[in-house]
Amino acid sequence: MKPLDWVVMFGWLTFLVSYGLWRGRKSGTVNDYLLAGRTMPWYAMGLSIMATQASAITFISTTGQSYVDGMRFVQFYFGLPVAMVILSATAVPIFHRAKVYTAYEYLENRFDAKTRALVSGIFLIQRGLAAGLALYAPAVVLSVILGWSDQTTTILMGSLVVIYTTTGGIKAITWADVQQMAVIFVALILALFMAIHLMPREVSFLDAVTLAGAFGKLKAVDTHFDWNNRYNIWSGLIGGMFLALAYFGCDQSQVQRYLTGKSVAQSRLSLLFNAVAKIPMQFFILFIGAMVFVLFMFVKPPVIFHPVEMERAAQSAEFKPVEDRYNAAFEARKQAAQRYLDADHRGKTSPADLEVLRSTQRAFDAARQDGAKLVDKARGSNGFNDTNYIFLSFVTNYLPVGVVGLIIAVIFSAAMSAVSGEINSLATVTVIDVYKRHFRKSGTDRHYLWASRIATAFWGVYAVIFAGRGGGFGALIEAVNMIGSLFYGGMLGVFVLAFFFPKVGANGAFFGVIAGEAAIFAANHYTSISFLWYNVIGCLVVLATGVVISKFAVSAK
Amino acid sequence: MNEPSEPPPFLGTWKRVYTVVLIYVALLISALYVFSVVTAP
Repeated sequence: MKPLDWVVMFGWLTFLVSYGLWRGRKSGTVNDYLLAGRTMPWYAMGLSIMATQASAITFISTTGQSYVDGMRFVQFYFGLPVAMVILSATAVPIFHRAKVYTAYEYLENRFDAKTRALVSGIFLIQRGLAAGLALYAPAVVLSVILGWSDQTTTILMGSLVVIYTTTGGIKAITWADVQQMAVIFVALILALFMAIHLMPREVSFLDAVTLAGAFGKLKAVDTHFDWNNRYNIWSGLIGGMFLALAYFGCDQSQVQRYLTGKSVAQSRLSLLFNAVAKIPMQFFILFIGAMVFVLFMFVKPPVIFHPVEMERAAQSAEFKPVEDRYNAAFEARKQAAQRYLDADHRGKTSPADLEVLRSTQRAFDAARQDGAKLVDKARGSNGFNDTNYIFLSFVTNYLPVGVVGLIIAVIFSAAMSAVSGEINSLATVTVIDVYKRHFRKSGTDRHYLWASRIATAFWGVYAVIFAGRGGGFGALIEAVNMIGSLFYGGMLGVFVLAFFFPKVGANGAFFGVIAGEAAIFAANHYTSISFLWYNVIGCLVVLATGVVISKFAVSAK
Repeated sequence: MNEPSEPPPFLGTWKRVYTVVLIYVALLISALYVFSVVTAP
């Protein structure tokens, strides 16, 4: 990074924290601190929900995933808009009417204290793990790119988050998120523009699309049903809908956002805004990855995208032959791509041309794989994967001065946005569902305000410490979704029971959740079913168990 | 489903808003399917 990049990066981070502090300066009551006094307009809530979801992992991992695997990941979001409509019609008015601080508070009103304790406990475990990972993922990648240690990056991000979240509460977080989303949109547009602009003059935008399509990178919809295929239209629509229902309907980090709305209508509009904008935004991010893939057909990328590992591998005696094979494979692929485009311009592409093009890609991949093996050999590891470094390699090596700083700042602030929302919700559940419910029921408002601040700081420090131990996860975004899917099915099931099964009682709900979680862990351990289906399985088991137990209890009476 | 007291700022009722959103999503997914087919070699 050049001096201007550092200025842009630190300038943005300073502005963001100051702005958050300024907007949250009047949070003098628990209601202000945890729910922004229920005064938020729909666009602020909508952008904040989007910002919390669009963590740094979205930029780092999603673009890399598209580069390697194409755009099929977009299907993961197909069920989200349907979930948003269902929640707008059901959960939003129910939670607003109940005037609760947390979704789990409602469960005690509907069932009993043990069900509330169980579900809030599940939330604390699940979200606690995710908070650490949301900080760990970008910290590790950014530390490599910036040449800092993991600890420096983690502590910098964690400290900034703790400062504005502890001081200003959810108002600071929400308004900071609005600014972040604005800059995120600008950064994304700049990244796509540059990926296309940097291609050789003879390669037009349509040519780039043709090449990306020839390699299957633009296959956004797969209609073939397969239980074990992670991303197809069916897993996206059904599994994705259940995941979104659970995430937006039962996860306090999201529920708390729309509880800040000044009316039911404003909260509904914030969810519907996400329903409309989420798929196009993910498509756009994935498309950037596909365009970077095409750019790297003409502009030679490093053998290994991880800069430190690349440097280490380059010192090995075995690296030279690998690099020679890689260079030759790159040139062969480049020429094949050019020939394919020439044939396309004449309208005479044939299956044979396509096979030649794809065979050069296989040779190129094999050469890159040889480079990865060198890294594995040096590290004593197995299956080295540099997917998460592809986008940042593109940013740092090919984007102009200033833009690099902006995009790195965006990734920093996206991580901070996700983490701030998570530690705020963790603190809310800790204070409202645990401390106030079980330890001190009749404190003053000021007492709970300070308890909320202390809990926020605690979870911030916890996230930093956990981030230091976050290694061992695979593709980062999948790890986050995977953790969610292990717990969300049970949580969703109990809320569906609460909303739609008036005859189901407390014991049915409590044991239903336990049975649902057992089913999910069994599916995870004993089958190869894609994790997107865990929410469906868990939810259905909770419903079935809850209904059967309640019927049995009624008969016994 | 209870109709809330506050109507949406457009289209009159929430039911109409939800219908429009769902139609939009169906069209969006269809467009992505067409995009996948058209860009495939």
